Amino acid sequence: MISISPKALAPGSDTSFEKKLDLTNLTPDQVALDINKLNLFYGKKQALNNITMSIPKGQVTAFIGPSGCGKSTLLRSINRMNDLVDNCHITGEINLHGNNIYDKHVDVAELRRKVGMVFQRPNPFPKSIYENVVYGLRIMGENNRRRLDEAAEQSLRSAALWNEVKDRLHESALGLSGGQQQRLVIARAIAIQPEVLLLDEPTSALDPISTLTIEELINDLKKQFTVVIVTHNMQQAARVSDQTAFMYMGDLIEYSDTNTLFTTPLKKKTEDYITGRYG
Amino acid sequence: MDNVQIGRHISGQFNEDLERVINNVMHMGGLVEKQLTDALAAVEQADVSLAKEVLTNDYQVNAYEVSIDDECTRIIAKRQPAAGDLRLIMAVVKTIADLERIGDEAQKIAKVALESFSSQQQDLLVNLDNLGRRVLEFLQASLDAFTRMDCDAAIKIHQMDDKINREYEALMRQLMTYMMEDPRSIPQVMTVIWSARALERIGDRCQNICEYIIYFVKGKVVRHTTAEDIKKL
Repeated sequence: MISISPKALAPGSDTSFEKKLDLTNLTPDQVALDINKLNLFYGKKQALNNITMSIPKGQVTAFIGPSGCGKSTLLRSINRMNDLVDNCHITGEINLHGNNIYDKHVDVAELRRKVGMVFQRPNPFPKSIYENVVYGLRIMGENNRRRLDEAAEQSLRSAALWNEVKDRLHESALGLSGGQQQRLVIARAIAIQPEVLLLDEPTSALDPISTLTIEELINDLKKQFTVVIVTHNMQQAARVSDQTAFMYMGDLIEYSDTNTLFTTPLKKKTEDYITGRYG
Repeated sequence: MDNVQIGRHISGQFNEDLERVINNVMHMGGLVEKQLTDALAAVEQADVSLAKEVLTNDYQVNAYEVSIDDECTRIIAKRQPAAGDLRLIMAVVKTIADLERIGDEAQKIAKVALESFSSQQQDLLVNLDNLGRRVLEFLQASLDAFTRMDCDAAIKIHQMDDKINREYEALMRQLMTYMMEDPRSIPQVMTVIWSARALERIGDRCQNICEYIIYFVKGKVVRHTTAEDIKKL
C-alpha cells in the first residue's frame, strides 16, 4: 500500500503498490537457498568469486550478466551439475533447508530430485509425451497406472500444455514444436515435485510467442516452486523475476528487487549493462 | 550535459534518438522562455502587437510538446530504456508537459497588455512586473539546470518558489485593497490578479522541473516532500 502521511512524503519513500522483500534480512522460512561465500574454480581459473546471497522461497530470481560472467555456472552449482566437469573445484556453501548441498554425505540424485533443471534447448527423450512426463516418477519406482496418469495430467496442466496434447499423449514427443517441447521438459521437471526449479535460458531457442507462453508459465510456477532463471534477455528478467542478480566476471555486483534494479540500480556497472552502454 | 552520458550506448542509433529528444527539449525551453519574456515586455510597454505575437506563437510550443511526446513513446516502444535512460525519458515527458503549460500561462499574461489601464493603475503593473522578473529568473535557472542535468543547482533553486509565493501573496493583499478602495477598478485589477496567478503557477511548474532533474540524477522521487528533506539528499 502507498503510505500516506498527512503532511509530506519522505524523499525516496517506498510508494510502490507491491511489497518488497528485504533481501539482506530474510527470515529462515522465507529462504529457499542460502549461498554462502561460494568460490568456484575451473582448474586454475576462478569462475565465481565469493558469492553470498539468499534466494527467497516461492519467488522468481533472475541472474543476468554478459557471457562468461558466471551466471550459468552459479545456476549449475545449485544442483551440482558442475560435479560433471573435470577440474572443477568448489569452496563455500549452498544451503537448502540449512543443509549444505556440498556435504560429503549428500546424495546427488536426491538433491537433483529436489532441485530440477531445464536447459536452453528442449531435450525431450525419444519417447511418447506421456512417458516423458512420468519418466522421473517411474525411476523413483512409481508404477501405479492411476497415479502416473494423475501426475502426468497435473504436470502438463501446470506447464500449460495439457490442452494442446491431451489427445495425443502417446505420440512421440519429438513431433511437438520447440515451444511445446520446452513446456514438456518443464512438465517433466515438475512431475517429481521439486522444491526449486532452475531454468537455464529457457526461451533463447524459442520464438517470441512461445517465449511469452513460457514467461506466463514461470509466473504460475512460482506459486508452487522457487524458480531461478538465467537469461540473456534483460527485458525477460525484468518481466518475469521478483529479484534480479547482476553478475560480472564472476562477481555478484548487485542483487536487489527487480523493480529497483531496472529503474534505479546502485552500481554503475549494473547501469551500464542494463542500459546497453560500453563498460 | 555533464550528468547525461548519452553518447556511450553501444547502439549509435539510440544515442542519436536521445540526443535529438534532449535538443528538442532545449529548443522548446528556449521558446517558452522567449514567450514569457515577450509577454512580460508586452505588459510593461503596453505593446499590443508583441502581445498578439505571443498569443499566436503558442502553437509552436504545443507542436514541440506533441512531437517530443511522440518521440519518447517511440523510444520506449523500440528501445525499452532502463535505469538512467528510463528516468531521462520520464523526466523529459513530464518536463515538456510543464513547459507546455508555462506557455499557456505566458499567453494569459500577454492578454493583460490588451487591456487599457489608467495612469493611476500603472503601479499595479509595476508590481506585476517585479513578480514576473523573479519568475522569469526561476524559469531560466530551471532550464539551465535541466540542460546540464545539474542536481545540486536544482536543489538550490527549488526553493526560489517560496519567495515567489510570498511575493504573490503580498501582491494579492495589495490588489484587494485596491478593489476595496475603488470598486470601479475591479475589472482591471481582476486581469492583474489572473496574470499574477499565472506567474505563481509558472513558479510551481519550474519547481516541478527541478524535481524531475533530481529524480533523473538521484533516482529519488522528491515530489510532495519538504524543502528540508530535499536539502538532505
